[in-house]
Amino acid sequence: MELADRAVGLLLSVISLSIFTYYTFWVIILPFVDSDHFVHKYFLPQEYAILIPVYAGVGLICFLSVFIGYVMLKSKKKKA
Amino acid sequence: MVYWGPKGKTNTAHQMKHIVKIMALLVAMSALWISLLQSSKIPESYTWLLPLYFIVSLGCYGLLMVGVGLMQFPTCPHEAVLLQQDIVEAKEYLKQNGVDVGSNP
Repeated sequence: MELADRAVGLLLSVISLSIFTYYTFWVIILPFVDSDHFVHKYFLPQEYAILIPVYAGVGLICFLSVFIGYVMLKSKKKKA
Repeated sequence: MVYWGPKGKTNTAHQMKHIVKIMALLVAMSALWISLLQSSKIPESYTWLLPLYFIVSLGCYGLLMVGVGLMQFPTCPHEAVLLQQDIVEAKEYLKQNGVDVGSNP
């Protein structure tokens, strides 16, 4: 059904755009704002700006390797 | 299952050259980044942040393209109906000729 496809596509675009704007704000704009400004409340401390993508990337790589290993094992078992 | 035709050896050779190209590109980019840092054109606090930012933004861009492509995917409802009719006709024809067509699961 094309409506479900379009809904999923819209959701994906919205998620990616929001992540992009949040991250841009976090990394580039926030260092130039005075530390008294109220907007600092909405953003985690700057160390997390590095940690979160790194952890997410490492988690993704782990998941991919586990998945590939599982598929390879399954195909080997089927051949034998 | 695996077809090692006459292309077998050249395939692995092409894979080797491909990896070498990718590694060379990576080394060039890191050299550029380190030279930019050393000549102090960029403040020191951005050492890890900017490459990570570019990687994250690249991932975001890919996700955005996937979402936009999904939204703009052209469906052809008219052709879908015609296709269903074709399937029914083919099934009847094959049944008449004795071929075993299983029913839809």
